[in-house]
Amino acid sequence: MSRQTRQVGGSHRGLDMWLLQRASSVYMALFLPAFLVFVLLDTPLDHAAWSGLFIPLTMKVSVLLFIAAVLAHAWIGLREIFIDYVHFLLPRLALYFAFAALYLACLIWAVDILWSVN
Amino acid sequence: MNRQRPFFLDLLAIRLPIGGVVSILHRASGAFLALAIPALLYALMLSLRSPQDFARVQAFFGGGLGWLIGLVALWALLHHLFAGLRHLGFDIGYGEEKIRARLTAKLAMAAAIVLVGGFALIGLAKSGGLA
Repeated sequence: MSRQTRQVGGSHRGLDMWLLQRASSVYMALFLPAFLVFVLLDTPLDHAAWSGLFIPLTMKVSVLLFIAAVLAHAWIGLREIFIDYVHFLLPRLALYFAFAALYLACLIWAVDILWSVN
Repeated sequence: MNRQRPFFLDLLAIRLPIGGVVSILHRASGAFLALAIPALLYALMLSLRSPQDFARVQAFFGGGLGWLIGLVALWALLHHLFAGLRHLGFDIGYGEEKIRARLTAKLAMAAAIVLVGGFALIGLAKSGGLA
């Protein structure tokens, strides 16, 4: 593997990525069971009850934070996979950027989805 | 590279240890979930948009191919979660010894399968499929 590939597309930012991966995983692991309890308390689950869960601002914000954690976690995880299997710089960077763009779009979309509930 | 090292490649005799199985499934389930994000957001959008779209999402995951996709996604999520908790344990120094590492690998693997199996059975029973 070329020096260029390692410097530009490699794992030199290992520690902050590693830390963000842990931080996002802890938030997701705490949020998911709590959210599940919220949902299960609200039976029978029809559209009114389900969308009603998303009306309070605290719920919107904590769900958006969860989605942001998912997206960051997914991007870092995919990056690990690309580092392992995609050994040429250009396709590796193309994959980094493509998923970064896709996930940023998802984040903006998530804001629209959540704030459309009222 | 040293090509004289001991070499054992009897494909019928070698087996990935349980930790290795959990690890590769952690990666596979993570990749699956990462690629499924836009579809999951789409389902969230529909479920919140209107009672009609909520019913569409319910109908999709309620039977047939959608039901299977939902079960696979649920397994991927649970396996990734449990295998990930195991890694968080390693980070703080819990379960690094061989015996405990093997035990937690089996637990993570089994917990995801049992939960998804139970969920599927409850769904079948509720829909009258087991009656």
